[in-house]
Amino acid sequence: MEKWDVVVVGGGPGGSYAAKTAAEAGLKTVFFERGRKPGEKNSSGCGLGQRWWRDFPKLMEQLQELPSVRKIEMVVINLIDEHDRLRYRSGTTGSDLCANRWPHGMDGISIYRRDLDPFLADLAIAAGAELRNSTLISDVVMDDGRVTGVKTEKGEPIQAEVVIAADGAMSTMARKAGMRNRWGGGCTLVPQLDFGCNEEKMDDVIGNAEWVWFGPLYGTYQVNFRDGFHIGAGQWLRDDWDEKPLDMMKKVVGIPAFRAMCRAIEAKPREYQAHMLPWMKKPPKTYTGGMMLVGDAAGFPCPLEAEGIWHAVISGREAAQTAAWAISKGDTSERSLAEYERRWKASDLGKEHEFGEEFVNLWNSSIFDPKLMERQIQLLLEFSMLHPFSIVFDWGDAHMDCFNQHLGHLIELAPEFGDFGKTYIAPMARGIWPSNVKKMLLAVKPKIPALRRLSDDNYFKVIARLSRKLAPYLDPAAKQNGPLPRQSYGAGGR
Amino acid sequence: MKEIELDFFELVKRVDTDKMGDFISYDREKCNGCGLCALVCSFNIWAVKAGKAKLAVRYQELCVECGACWEVCEPEAIDFSYPAGGTGVVIEYG
Repeated sequence: MEKWDVVVVGGGPGGSYAAKTAAEAGLKTVFFERGRKPGEKNSSGCGLGQRWWRDFPKLMEQLQELPSVRKIEMVVINLIDEHDRLRYRSGTTGSDLCANRWPHGMDGISIYRRDLDPFLADLAIAAGAELRNSTLISDVVMDDGRVTGVKTEKGEPIQAEVVIAADGAMSTMARKAGMRNRWGGGCTLVPQLDFGCNEEKMDDVIGNAEWVWFGPLYGTYQVNFRDGFHIGAGQWLRDDWDEKPLDMMKKVVGIPAFRAMCRAIEAKPREYQAHMLPWMKKPPKTYTGGMMLVGDAAGFPCPLEAEGIWHAVISGREAAQTAAWAISKGDTSERSLAEYERRWKASDLGKEHEFGEEFVNLWNSSIFDPKLMERQIQLLLEFSMLHPFSIVFDWGDAHMDCFNQHLGHLIELAPEFGDFGKTYIAPMARGIWPSNVKKMLLAVKPKIPALRRLSDDNYFKVIARLSRKLAPYLDPAAKQNGPLPRQSYGAGGR
Repeated sequence: MKEIELDFFELVKRVDTDKMGDFISYDREKCNGCGLCALVCSFNIWAVKAGKAKLAVRYQELCVECGACWEVCEPEAIDFSYPAGGTGVVIEYG
Protein backbone atom coordinates (compact mmCIF):
# COMPACT_ATOMS: atom_id res chain seq x y z
CA MET A 1 0.00 0.00 0.00
CA GLU A 2 1.14 3.53 -0.77
CA LYS A 3 2.44 5.28 2.31
CA TRP A 4 2.98 8.98 2.98
CA ASP A 5 3.73 11.14 5.98
CA VAL A 6 1.04 13.63 5.00
CA VAL A 7 -1.88 13.22 2.61
CA VAL A 8 -3.62 16.49 1.78
CA VAL A 9 -7.10 16.23 0.29
CA GLY A 10 -7.80 19.24 -1.91
CA GLY A 11 -5.66 21.43 -4.15
CA GLY A 12 -7.20 24.79 -3.25
CA PRO A 13 -5.31 27.48 -1.32
CA GLY A 14 -5.59 25.68 2.03
CA GLY A 15 -4.50 22.32 0.62
CA SER A 16 -1.63 23.73 -1.40
CA TYR A 17 -0.29 25.80 1.45
CA ALA A 18 -0.55 22.84 3.82
CA ALA A 19 1.30 20.66 1.27
CA LYS A 20 3.97 23.33 0.81
CA THR A 21 4.50 23.73 4.55
CA ALA A 22 4.58 19.96 5.16
CA ALA A 23 7.06 19.38 2.32
CA GLU A 24 9.27 22.20 3.59
CA ALA A 25 9.29 20.53 6.99
CA GLY A 26 10.78 17.48 5.29
CA LEU A 27 7.62 15.38 5.31
CA LYS A 28 6.80 13.06 2.43
CA THR A 29 3.69 14.79 1.14
CA VAL A 30 1.08 14.20 -1.56
CA PHE A 31 -1.93 16.39 -2.35
CA PHE A 32 -4.99 15.51 -4.40
CA GLU A 33 -7.15 17.68 -6.63
CA ARG A 34 -10.43 16.48 -8.14
CA GLY A 35 -10.28 18.95 -11.03
CA ARG A 36 -7.98 18.49 -13.99
CA LYS A 37 -5.83 21.17 -12.39
CA PRO A 38 -6.05 23.28 -9.22
CA GLY A 39 -8.59 26.11 -9.40
CA GLU A 40 -10.76 24.45 -12.01
CA LYS A 41 -13.50 23.56 -9.53
CA ASN A 42 -13.34 26.71 -7.44
CA SER A 43 -15.26 29.92 -7.43
CA SER A 44 -15.15 32.64 -4.83
CA GLY A 45 -15.01 36.40 -4.36
CA CYS A 46 -11.25 36.06 -4.25
CA GLY A 47 -10.12 39.40 -3.01
CA LEU A 48 -6.73 39.18 -1.32
CA GLY A 49 -6.75 41.97 1.22
CA GLN A 50 -4.23 43.98 3.14
CA ARG A 51 -3.39 41.17 5.56
CA TRP A 52 -1.85 39.33 2.61
CA TRP A 53 0.69 42.14 2.42
CA ARG A 54 1.30 41.79 6.13
CA ASP A 55 1.68 37.99 6.14
CA PHE A 56 2.84 37.07 2.62
CA PRO A 57 4.54 40.14 1.10
CA LYS A 58 6.76 38.13 -1.26
CA LEU A 59 3.84 36.11 -2.61
CA MET A 60 1.85 39.29 -3.15
CA GLU A 61 4.66 40.80 -5.20
CA GLN A 62 4.52 37.74 -7.47
CA LEU A 63 0.73 37.50 -7.56
CA GLN A 64 0.47 41.08 -8.84
CA GLU A 65 1.97 39.88 -12.11
CA LEU A 66 -0.71 37.29 -12.89
CA PRO A 67 -3.03 38.08 -15.80
CA SER A 68 -6.43 38.43 -14.10
CA VAL A 69 -5.32 40.80 -11.34
CA ARG A 70 -6.97 44.12 -10.64
CA LYS A 71 -5.55 46.21 -7.86
CA ILE A 72 -8.14 47.18 -5.25
CA GLU A 73 -7.83 50.31 -3.17
CA MET A 74 -11.42 51.37 -2.74
CA VAL A 75 -14.87 50.01 -1.97
CA VAL A 76 -17.98 51.50 -3.60
CA ILE A 77 -21.34 50.93 -1.96
CA ASN A 78 -24.57 51.13 -3.94
CA LEU A 79 -27.81 51.07 -1.99
CA ILE A 80 -30.84 49.97 -3.98
CA ASP A 81 -34.29 50.46 -2.47
CA GLU A 82 -37.27 48.12 -2.68
CA HIS A 83 -38.32 49.78 -5.97
CA ASP A 84 -34.93 49.03 -7.56
CA ARG A 85 -33.88 52.65 -7.47
CA LEU A 86 -30.28 53.59 -6.71
CA ARG A 87 -30.61 55.74 -3.59
CA TYR A 88 -27.08 56.04 -2.32
CA ARG A 89 -23.62 55.55 -3.72
CA SER A 90 -20.46 56.19 -1.82
CA GLY A 91 -16.91 54.99 -1.93
CA THR A 92 -13.96 55.02 0.35
CA THR A 93 -10.26 54.34 0.17
CA GLY A 94 -10.06 54.37 3.96
CA SER A 95 -8.28 57.05 5.94
CA ASP A 96 -4.55 57.74 6.07
CA LEU A 97 -4.40 55.42 9.05
CA CYS A 98 -5.28 52.47 6.79
CA ALA A 99 -2.78 53.65 4.23
CA ASN A 100 -0.01 53.87 6.80
CA ARG A 101 -0.63 50.59 8.61
CA TRP A 102 1.29 48.42 6.16
CA PRO A 103 3.67 49.39 3.39
CA HIS A 104 0.91 48.80 0.86
CA GLY A 105 -1.84 50.45 2.85
CA MET A 106 -5.36 49.66 1.75
CA ASP A 107 -4.26 47.90 -1.41
CA GLY A 108 -5.46 44.43 -2.10
CA ILE A 109 -5.97 42.51 -5.31
CA SER A 110 -8.76 40.61 -7.01
CA ILE A 111 -7.59 37.54 -8.85
CA TYR A 112 -9.36 34.64 -10.53
CA ARG A 113 -8.89 31.24 -8.97
CA ARG A 114 -7.51 29.86 -12.24
CA ASP A 115 -4.50 32.12 -11.57
CA LEU A 116 -4.24 31.90 -7.79
CA ASP A 117 -4.76 28.19 -7.17
CA PRO A 118 -2.18 26.83 -9.66
CA PHE A 119 0.30 29.44 -8.41
CA LEU A 120 -0.04 28.20 -4.83
CA ALA A 121 0.01 24.55 -5.95
CA ASP A 122 3.28 25.21 -7.80
CA LEU A 123 4.82 26.47 -4.55
CA ALA A 124 3.95 23.14 -2.94
CA ILE A 125 5.37 21.20 -5.88
CA ALA A 126 8.56 23.27 -5.77
CA ALA A 127 8.86 22.45 -2.07
CA GLY A 128 8.77 18.75 -2.94
CA ALA A 129 5.11 17.78 -2.55
CA GLU A 130 3.51 15.58 -5.19
CA LEU A 131 0.29 16.78 -6.84
CA ARG A 132 -2.22 14.33 -8.30
CA ASN A 133 -4.87 15.95 -10.43
CA SER A 134 -8.19 14.50 -11.63
CA THR A 135 -8.34 12.33 -8.54
CA LEU A 136 -11.31 12.28 -6.25
CA ILE A 137 -10.69 11.13 -2.71
CA SER A 138 -13.96 9.56 -1.69
CA ASP A 139 -13.38 8.00 1.71
CA VAL A 140 -11.15 7.83 4.76
CA VAL A 141 -9.46 4.71 6.05
CA MET A 142 -10.14 4.32 9.76
CA ASP A 143 -8.47 2.08 12.27
CA ASP A 144 -9.68 1.86 15.85
CA GLY A 145 -11.60 5.13 15.59
CA ARG A 146 -8.83 7.16 14.04
CA VAL A 147 -7.99 8.18 10.49
CA THR A 148 -5.02 6.28 9.07
CA GLY A 149 -5.39 7.13 5.40
CA VAL A 150 -7.74 7.85 2.52
CA LYS A 151 -9.30 6.00 -0.38
CA THR A 152 -9.45 7.17 -3.97
CA GLU A 153 -12.68 6.91 -5.95
CA LYS A 154 -11.33 3.68 -7.42
CA GLY A 155 -11.07 2.23 -3.94
CA GLU A 156 -7.26 2.36 -3.68
CA PRO A 157 -6.21 2.89 -0.07
CA ILE A 158 -3.40 5.33 0.68
CA GLN A 159 -1.82 5.31 4.09
CA ALA A 160 -0.84 8.48 5.94
CA GLU A 161 0.58 9.45 9.30
CA VAL A 162 -1.63 12.52 9.10
CA VAL A 163 -4.45 13.49 6.73
CA ILE A 164 -5.13 17.18 6.16
CA ALA A 165 -8.65 17.66 4.82
CA ALA A 166 -8.83 20.77 2.67
CA ASP A 167 -11.79 19.51 0.68
CA GLY A 168 -14.14 22.46 0.95
CA ALA A 169 -17.53 23.22 2.42
CA MET A 170 -18.93 19.74 1.86
CA SER A 171 -15.79 18.03 3.23
CA THR A 172 -16.20 14.37 2.37
CA MET A 173 -13.34 13.63 4.76
CA ALA A 174 -15.05 15.23 7.76
CA ARG A 175 -18.28 13.39 6.94
CA LYS A 176 -16.69 10.02 6.39
CA ALA A 177 -14.64 10.31 9.58
CA GLY A 178 -17.89 10.96 11.46
CA MET A 179 -16.88 14.48 12.54
CA ARG A 180 -20.05 16.06 11.25
CA ASN A 181 -22.74 15.80 8.66
CA ARG A 182 -24.58 18.81 7.24
CA TRP A 183 -23.73 22.29 8.57
CA GLY A 184 -27.33 22.75 9.64
CA GLY A 185 -27.90 26.46 9.22
CA GLY A 186 -24.34 27.79 9.42
CA CYS A 187 -23.65 27.58 5.70
CA THR A 188 -24.45 30.00 2.90
CA LEU A 189 -25.01 29.32 -0.78
CA VAL A 190 -23.44 31.76 -3.20
CA PRO A 191 -24.48 31.80 -6.85
CA GLN A 192 -22.09 33.90 -8.93
CA LEU A 193 -22.35 35.40 -12.38
CA ASP A 194 -19.21 36.43 -14.20
CA PHE A 195 -19.07 39.11 -16.92
CA GLY A 196 -16.36 39.79 -19.46
CA CYS A 197 -15.75 43.53 -19.98
CA ASN A 198 -13.79 46.12 -21.88
CA GLU A 199 -10.68 46.54 -19.74
CA GLU A 200 -10.04 50.22 -20.51
CA LYS A 201 -13.62 51.14 -19.85
CA MET A 202 -13.49 49.22 -16.60
CA ASP A 203 -10.45 51.27 -15.61
CA ASP A 204 -12.37 54.46 -16.34
CA VAL A 205 -15.74 53.60 -14.83
CA ILE A 206 -14.98 51.08 -12.08
CA GLY A 207 -11.39 51.94 -11.26
CA ASN A 208 -9.44 49.98 -8.68
CA ALA A 209 -12.45 49.20 -6.55
CA GLU A 210 -14.76 46.48 -5.35
CA TRP A 211 -18.43 47.32 -5.54
CA VAL A 212 -21.41 46.13 -3.53
CA TRP A 213 -25.11 46.34 -4.26
CA PHE A 214 -27.10 46.26 -1.06
CA GLY A 215 -30.74 46.82 -0.23
CA PRO A 216 -33.86 45.09 1.05
CA LEU A 217 -33.84 42.80 -2.00
CA TYR A 218 -30.10 42.47 -2.50
CA GLY A 219 -26.94 41.53 -0.68
CA THR A 220 -24.68 41.35 -3.69
CA TYR A 221 -20.94 41.87 -4.00
CA GLN A 222 -19.18 42.77 -7.19
CA VAL A 223 -15.56 41.70 -7.43
CA ASN A 224 -13.68 43.42 -10.23
CA PHE A 225 -10.88 41.70 -12.13
CA ARG A 226 -8.62 42.97 -14.90
CA ASP A 227 -11.10 42.52 -17.75
CA GLY A 228 -14.22 41.28 -16.05
CA PHE A 229 -16.13 41.08 -12.82
CA HIS A 230 -18.44 38.79 -11.01
CA ILE A 231 -21.39 39.35 -8.81
CA GLY A 232 -22.26 37.00 -6.00
CA ALA A 233 -25.52 36.88 -4.14
CA GLY A 234 -26.90 34.41 -1.68
CA GLN A 235 -27.87 33.82 1.88
CA TRP A 236 -27.66 31.40 4.74
CA LEU A 237 -29.31 28.10 3.84
CA ARG A 238 -32.08 28.38 6.40
CA ASP A 239 -35.85 28.32 6.60
CA ASP A 240 -36.17 31.91 5.35
CA TRP A 241 -34.48 31.20 2.00
CA ASP A 242 -37.15 32.38 -0.41
CA GLU A 243 -35.81 32.51 -3.93
CA LYS A 244 -34.28 30.24 -6.54
CA PRO A 245 -30.65 31.15 -7.25
CA LEU A 246 -31.24 31.59 -10.98
CA ASP A 247 -34.10 34.00 -10.26
CA MET A 248 -31.85 35.84 -7.82
CA MET A 249 -29.30 36.40 -10.57
CA LYS A 250 -31.96 37.54 -13.05
CA LYS A 251 -33.21 40.06 -10.51
CA VAL A 252 -29.80 41.58 -9.83
CA VAL A 253 -29.06 42.06 -13.52
CA GLY A 254 -32.40 43.85 -13.82
CA ILE A 255 -31.39 46.73 -11.51
CA PRO A 256 -31.33 49.77 -13.80
CA ALA A 257 -28.16 51.22 -12.26
CA PHE A 258 -26.47 47.85 -12.67
CA ARG A 259 -27.48 47.63 -16.31
CA ALA A 260 -26.19 51.15 -16.87
CA MET A 261 -22.84 50.15 -15.44
CA CYS A 262 -22.77 47.04 -17.66
CA ARG A 263 -23.45 49.14 -20.71
CA ALA A 264 -20.71 51.61 -19.81
CA ILE A 265 -18.06 48.90 -19.51
CA GLU A 266 -19.45 46.64 -22.28
CA ALA A 267 -20.11 43.81 -19.84
CA LYS A 268 -21.31 40.50 -21.29
CA PRO A 269 -22.32 37.49 -19.17
CA ARG A 270 -19.50 34.96 -19.38
CA GLU A 271 -19.92 32.23 -16.75
CA TYR A 272 -22.28 31.06 -14.07
CA GLN A 273 -21.08 29.28 -10.92
CA ALA A 274 -22.36 28.40 -7.46
CA HIS A 275 -20.64 27.34 -4.28
CA MET A 276 -21.43 26.83 -0.64
CA LEU A 277 -19.62 28.91 1.92
CA PRO A 278 -19.71 28.16 5.63
CA TRP A 279 -20.23 31.43 7.48
CA MET A 280 -20.10 30.34 11.08
CA LYS A 281 -20.42 31.92 14.49
CA LYS A 282 -17.88 29.41 15.63
CA PRO A 283 -15.89 26.79 13.72
CA PRO A 284 -16.86 23.23 14.72
CA LYS A 285 -14.26 20.75 15.94
CA THR A 286 -11.32 20.91 13.56
CA TYR A 287 -9.35 17.75 14.38
CA THR A 288 -9.76 14.08 15.13
CA GLY A 289 -7.29 11.24 15.51
CA GLY A 290 -4.96 11.34 12.50
CA MET A 291 -6.75 14.17 10.70
CA MET A 292 -7.13 17.96 10.74
CA LEU A 293 -9.56 20.14 8.78
CA VAL A 294 -8.47 23.39 7.15
CA GLY A 295 -10.14 26.25 5.25
CA ASP A 296 -13.82 25.93 4.33
CA ALA A 297 -13.84 22.29 5.45
CA ALA A 298 -13.25 23.60 8.97
CA GLY A 299 -15.75 26.45 8.72
CA PHE A 300 -13.00 29.07 8.92
CA PRO A 301 -14.18 31.87 6.59
CA CYS A 302 -14.19 35.24 8.29
CA PRO A 303 -17.31 35.75 10.41
CA LEU A 304 -17.46 39.40 9.34
CA GLU A 305 -16.84 39.46 5.58
CA ALA A 306 -16.83 35.72 4.79
CA GLU A 307 -13.54 35.90 2.90
CA GLY A 308 -11.94 32.50 3.31
CA ILE A 309 -8.76 32.23 1.30
CA TRP A 310 -6.42 33.86 3.78
CA HIS A 311 -8.06 31.73 6.49
CA ALA A 312 -7.51 28.59 4.40
CA VAL A 313 -3.84 29.40 3.88
CA ILE A 314 -3.19 30.27 7.53
CA SER A 315 -5.00 27.17 8.78
CA GLY A 316 -3.22 25.04 6.17
CA ARG A 317 0.09 26.31 7.49
CA GLU A 318 -0.86 25.70 11.13
CA ALA A 319 -2.16 22.20 10.36
CA ALA A 320 1.00 21.20 8.48
CA GLN A 321 3.23 22.55 11.24
CA THR A 322 1.18 20.65 13.79
CA ALA A 323 1.52 17.51 11.64
CA ALA A 324 5.31 17.91 11.58
CA TRP A 325 5.38 18.37 15.33
CA ALA A 326 3.07 15.41 16.00
CA ILE A 327 4.90 13.07 13.60
CA SER A 328 8.28 13.98 15.09
CA LYS A 329 7.10 13.00 18.55
CA GLY A 330 5.43 9.88 17.18
CA ASP A 331 1.93 10.71 18.37
CA THR A 332 -0.77 11.70 15.90
CA SER A 333 -3.67 10.72 18.14
CA GLU A 334 -6.66 12.99 18.65
CA ARG A 335 -5.23 14.16 21.93
CA SER A 336 -1.98 15.12 20.31
CA LEU A 337 -3.63 16.90 17.36
CA ALA A 338 -5.64 19.04 19.79
CA GLU A 339 -2.49 21.12 19.52
CA TYR A 340 -3.80 22.28 16.12
CA GLU A 341 -6.81 23.97 17.70
CA ARG A 342 -4.62 25.63 20.30
CA ARG A 343 -2.38 26.93 17.52
CA TRP A 344 -5.07 28.32 15.21
CA LYS A 345 -6.89 29.89 18.15
CA ALA A 346 -3.69 31.69 19.12
CA SER A 347 -3.10 32.86 15.53
CA ASP A 348 -4.61 35.91 13.80
CA LEU A 349 -7.23 33.55 12.43
CA GLY A 350 -8.40 32.74 15.95
CA LYS A 351 -8.43 36.41 16.87
CA GLU A 352 -10.93 37.05 14.06
CA HIS A 353 -13.21 34.30 15.37
CA GLU A 354 -13.30 35.74 18.89
CA PHE A 355 -16.17 37.92 17.65
CA GLY A 356 -17.74 35.30 15.43
CA GLU A 357 -21.05 35.24 17.21
CA GLU A 358 -21.42 39.03 17.30
CA PHE A 359 -20.41 39.49 13.64
CA VAL A 360 -22.70 36.78 12.28
CA ASN A 361 -25.62 38.00 14.38
CA LEU A 362 -25.12 41.48 13.01
CA TRP A 363 -25.24 40.33 9.38
CA ASN A 364 -28.11 37.96 9.97
CA SER A 365 -30.20 40.74 11.33
CA SER A 366 -29.21 43.67 9.09
CA ILE A 367 -28.32 43.20 5.41
CA PHE A 368 -30.17 39.89 5.35
CA ASP A 369 -33.31 41.28 6.98
CA PRO A 370 -35.30 42.95 4.17
CA LYS A 371 -37.68 44.87 6.47
CA LEU A 372 -34.87 46.33 8.50
CA MET A 373 -32.93 47.22 5.35
CA GLU A 374 -35.89 49.22 4.02
CA ARG A 375 -35.86 51.33 7.16
CA GLN A 376 -32.08 51.36 7.38
CA ILE A 377 -31.84 52.95 3.95
CA GLN A 378 -34.08 55.78 5.15
CA LEU A 379 -31.97 56.22 8.25
CA LEU A 380 -28.76 56.25 6.27
CA LEU A 381 -30.17 58.74 3.78
CA GLU A 382 -31.13 61.05 6.64
CA PHE A 383 -27.67 60.73 8.11
CA SER A 384 -26.17 61.54 4.76
CA MET A 385 -28.44 64.60 4.43
CA LEU A 386 -26.75 66.16 7.45
CA HIS A 387 -23.43 65.96 5.69
CA PRO A 388 -22.42 69.40 4.36
CA PHE A 389 -21.94 68.00 0.85
CA SER A 390 -25.50 66.66 0.81
CA ILE A 391 -27.38 69.47 2.49
CA VAL A 392 -26.24 71.99 -0.11
CA PHE A 393 -28.21 69.98 -2.68
CA ASP A 394 -31.47 70.15 -0.78
CA TRP A 395 -32.74 73.58 -1.71
CA GLY A 396 -36.43 72.80 -1.26
CA ASP A 397 -36.53 75.39 1.53
CA ALA A 398 -34.04 77.76 3.07
CA HIS A 399 -30.97 75.64 3.88
CA MET A 400 -31.23 75.98 7.66
CA ASP A 401 -34.91 74.95 7.45
CA CYS A 402 -33.99 71.92 5.35
CA PHE A 403 -31.28 71.01 7.82
CA ASN A 404 -33.75 71.15 10.72
CA GLN A 405 -36.37 69.11 8.89
CA HIS A 406 -33.80 66.38 8.22
CA LEU A 407 -32.48 66.51 11.76
CA GLY A 408 -36.03 66.22 13.15
CA HIS A 409 -36.77 63.26 10.87
CA LEU A 410 -33.56 61.53 11.88
CA ILE A 411 -34.44 61.94 15.55
CA GLU A 412 -37.89 60.44 14.85
CA LEU A 413 -36.39 57.48 12.98
CA ALA A 414 -33.67 56.64 15.47
CA PRO A 415 -35.80 54.94 18.18
CA GLU A 416 -36.97 52.35 15.63
CA PHE A 417 -33.41 51.07 15.68
CA GLY A 418 -33.17 50.96 19.46
CA ASP A 419 -33.80 47.23 19.76
CA PHE A 420 -31.48 46.52 16.87
CA GLY A 421 -28.71 48.52 18.51
CA LYS A 422 -29.29 46.95 21.88
CA THR A 423 -29.37 43.39 20.57
CA TYR A 424 -26.76 43.43 17.83
CA ILE A 425 -24.51 46.45 18.19
CA ALA A 426 -24.18 46.69 21.97
CA PRO A 427 -22.65 43.20 22.42
CA MET A 428 -19.74 44.31 20.26
CA ALA A 429 -18.91 47.03 22.77
CA ARG A 430 -16.72 44.54 24.60
CA GLY A 431 -14.44 44.80 21.57
CA ILE A 432 -13.68 48.47 22.26
CA TRP A 433 -10.19 48.65 23.68
CA PRO A 434 -9.90 49.89 27.28
CA SER A 435 -7.29 52.38 26.02
CA ASN A 436 -9.95 53.95 23.77
CA VAL A 437 -12.55 54.05 26.55
CA LYS A 438 -10.00 55.88 28.67
CA LYS A 439 -9.26 58.32 25.84
CA MET A 440 -13.00 59.13 25.63
CA LEU A 441 -13.31 59.54 29.39
CA LEU A 442 -10.27 61.81 29.52
CA ALA A 443 -11.73 63.92 26.72
CA VAL A 444 -14.83 64.72 28.81
CA LYS A 445 -13.00 65.00 32.14
CA PRO A 446 -12.32 68.79 31.89
CA LYS A 447 -16.08 69.33 31.37
CA ILE A 448 -17.05 67.68 34.68
CA PRO A 449 -16.48 70.24 37.45
CA ALA A 450 -16.80 67.72 40.28
CA LEU A 451 -14.15 65.39 38.85
CA ARG A 452 -11.81 67.48 36.77
CA ARG A 453 -9.34 68.08 39.59
CA LEU A 454 -8.83 64.38 40.33
CA SER A 455 -5.75 62.55 39.11
CA ASP A 456 -6.49 60.38 36.08
CA ASP A 457 -6.19 57.21 38.16
CA ASN A 458 -8.58 58.44 40.82
CA TYR A 459 -10.96 59.75 38.15
CA PHE A 460 -11.09 56.26 36.58
CA LYS A 461 -11.66 54.71 40.03
CA VAL A 462 -14.65 56.99 40.65
CA ILE A 463 -16.13 56.26 37.21
CA ALA A 464 -15.65 52.53 37.75
CA ARG A 465 -17.61 52.79 41.00
CA LEU A 466 -20.37 54.84 39.34
CA SER A 467 -20.82 52.66 36.24
CA ARG A 468 -21.04 48.90 36.17
CA LYS A 469 -20.75 48.96 32.36
CA LEU A 470 -17.53 50.95 32.34
CA ALA A 471 -15.88 49.24 35.30
CA PRO A 472 -14.43 46.27 33.32
CA TYR A 473 -12.64 48.66 30.93
CA LEU A 474 -11.10 50.54 33.87
CA ASP A 475 -9.90 47.47 35.71
CA PRO A 476 -6.13 47.96 35.94
CA ALA A 477 -5.68 44.29 35.02
CA ALA A 478 -7.58 44.66 31.70
CA LYS A 479 -5.54 44.29 28.50
CA GLN A 480 -5.30 47.86 27.18
CA ASN A 481 -5.28 47.18 23.42
CA GLY A 482 -7.57 44.18 23.18
CA PRO A 483 -11.19 43.14 23.70
CA LEU A 484 -12.71 42.39 27.08
CA PRO A 485 -13.25 38.68 27.58
CA ARG A 486 -16.78 37.58 26.73
CA GLN A 487 -17.77 36.82 30.33
CA SER A 488 -16.94 40.28 31.67
CA TYR A 489 -19.48 41.83 29.33
CA GLY A 490 -22.99 40.48 28.71
CA ALA A 491 -23.06 38.83 25.27
CA GLY A 492 -26.32 39.19 23.35
CA GLY A 493 -27.64 38.05 20.00
CA ARG A 494 -29.83 35.23 18.92
CA MET B 1 -32.22 50.30 -21.61
CA LYS B 2 -31.57 46.82 -23.01
CA GLU B 3 -32.26 43.85 -20.78
CA ILE B 4 -29.32 41.59 -19.95
CA GLU B 5 -30.15 38.15 -21.29
CA LEU B 6 -28.94 35.13 -19.41
CA ASP B 7 -28.69 31.73 -21.04
CA PHE B 8 -27.52 29.82 -17.99
CA PHE B 9 -26.93 26.58 -19.88
CA GLU B 10 -24.48 28.33 -22.18
CA LEU B 11 -22.81 29.97 -19.18
CA VAL B 12 -21.58 26.71 -17.63
CA LYS B 13 -18.71 24.74 -19.17
CA ARG B 14 -18.55 21.00 -18.55
CA VAL B 15 -16.28 18.16 -19.62
CA ASP B 16 -16.90 14.41 -19.89
CA THR B 17 -20.42 14.55 -18.50
CA ASP B 18 -20.85 10.91 -19.56
CA LYS B 19 -18.08 9.85 -17.16
CA MET B 20 -19.26 11.74 -14.07
CA GLY B 21 -20.99 8.78 -12.47
CA ASP B 22 -23.91 8.97 -10.08
CA PHE B 23 -22.85 11.58 -7.56
CA ILE B 24 -26.28 12.48 -6.22
CA SER B 25 -28.28 9.75 -4.59
CA TYR B 26 -31.82 10.17 -3.43
CA ASP B 27 -33.92 8.05 -1.08
CA ARG B 28 -37.57 8.55 -1.98
CA GLU B 29 -38.70 6.83 1.21
CA LYS B 30 -36.97 9.39 3.41
CA CYS B 31 -38.17 12.43 1.43
CA ASN B 32 -40.80 14.50 3.25
CA GLY B 33 -41.66 16.57 0.19
CA CYS B 34 -40.65 19.89 1.79
CA GLY B 35 -39.30 21.19 -1.52
CA LEU B 36 -36.29 23.00 -0.06
CA CYS B 37 -33.97 21.18 -2.50
CA ALA B 38 -35.94 22.61 -5.42
CA LEU B 39 -35.94 26.09 -3.90
CA VAL B 40 -32.19 26.32 -3.26
CA CYS B 41 -30.99 24.38 -6.32
CA SER B 42 -28.56 26.53 -8.29
CA PHE B 43 -29.69 25.02 -11.58
CA ASN B 44 -33.31 23.94 -11.03
CA ILE B 45 -32.57 20.23 -11.30
CA TRP B 46 -34.97 19.34 -8.48
CA ALA B 47 -38.76 19.56 -8.59
CA VAL B 48 -41.50 18.35 -6.27
CA LYS B 49 -44.12 16.09 -7.81
CA ALA B 50 -46.92 14.37 -5.90
CA GLY B 51 -45.38 15.28 -2.57
CA LYS B 52 -41.93 13.90 -3.37
CA ALA B 53 -38.75 15.44 -4.69
CA LYS B 54 -37.76 14.45 -8.19
CA LEU B 55 -34.27 14.74 -9.65
CA ALA B 56 -33.79 15.56 -13.34
CA VAL B 57 -32.93 12.35 -15.17
CA ARG B 58 -29.86 13.79 -16.88
CA TYR B 59 -28.80 15.90 -13.90
CA GLN B 60 -25.11 15.41 -14.72
CA GLU B 61 -25.54 17.74 -17.69
CA LEU B 62 -27.10 20.46 -15.53
CA CYS B 63 -25.82 20.29 -11.95
CA VAL B 64 -23.25 22.97 -10.99
CA GLU B 65 -21.95 20.83 -8.10
CA CYS B 66 -22.79 23.26 -5.28
CA GLY B 67 -24.26 20.63 -2.94
CA ALA B 68 -26.97 22.89 -1.54
CA CYS B 69 -29.64 20.18 -1.97
CA TRP B 70 -27.70 17.93 0.39
CA GLU B 71 -27.13 20.73 2.89
CA VAL B 72 -30.82 21.65 3.23
CA CYS B 73 -32.31 18.15 3.23
CA GLU B 74 -33.60 17.80 6.79
CA PRO B 75 -34.59 14.09 6.54
CA GLU B 76 -31.24 13.40 4.83
CA ALA B 77 -32.88 11.82 1.80
CA ILE B 78 -30.27 13.38 -0.47
CA ASP B 79 -26.63 12.39 -0.51
CA PHE B 80 -24.13 14.32 -2.53
CA SER B 81 -20.62 13.23 -3.35
CA TYR B 82 -18.50 14.77 -6.08
CA PRO B 83 -18.44 13.59 -9.70
CA ALA B 84 -15.47 11.49 -10.81
CA GLY B 85 -12.11 13.27 -10.82
CA GLY B 86 -11.47 15.39 -13.91
CA THR B 87 -15.10 15.42 -15.05
CA GLY B 88 -18.03 17.81 -14.78
CA VAL B 89 -18.06 21.57 -14.30
CA VAL B 90 -14.98 23.53 -15.33
CA ILE B 91 -14.73 27.00 -13.87
CA GLU B 92 -12.60 29.46 -15.80
CA TYR B 93 -13.58 32.68 -14.09
CA GLY B 94 -14.12 31.62 -10.50
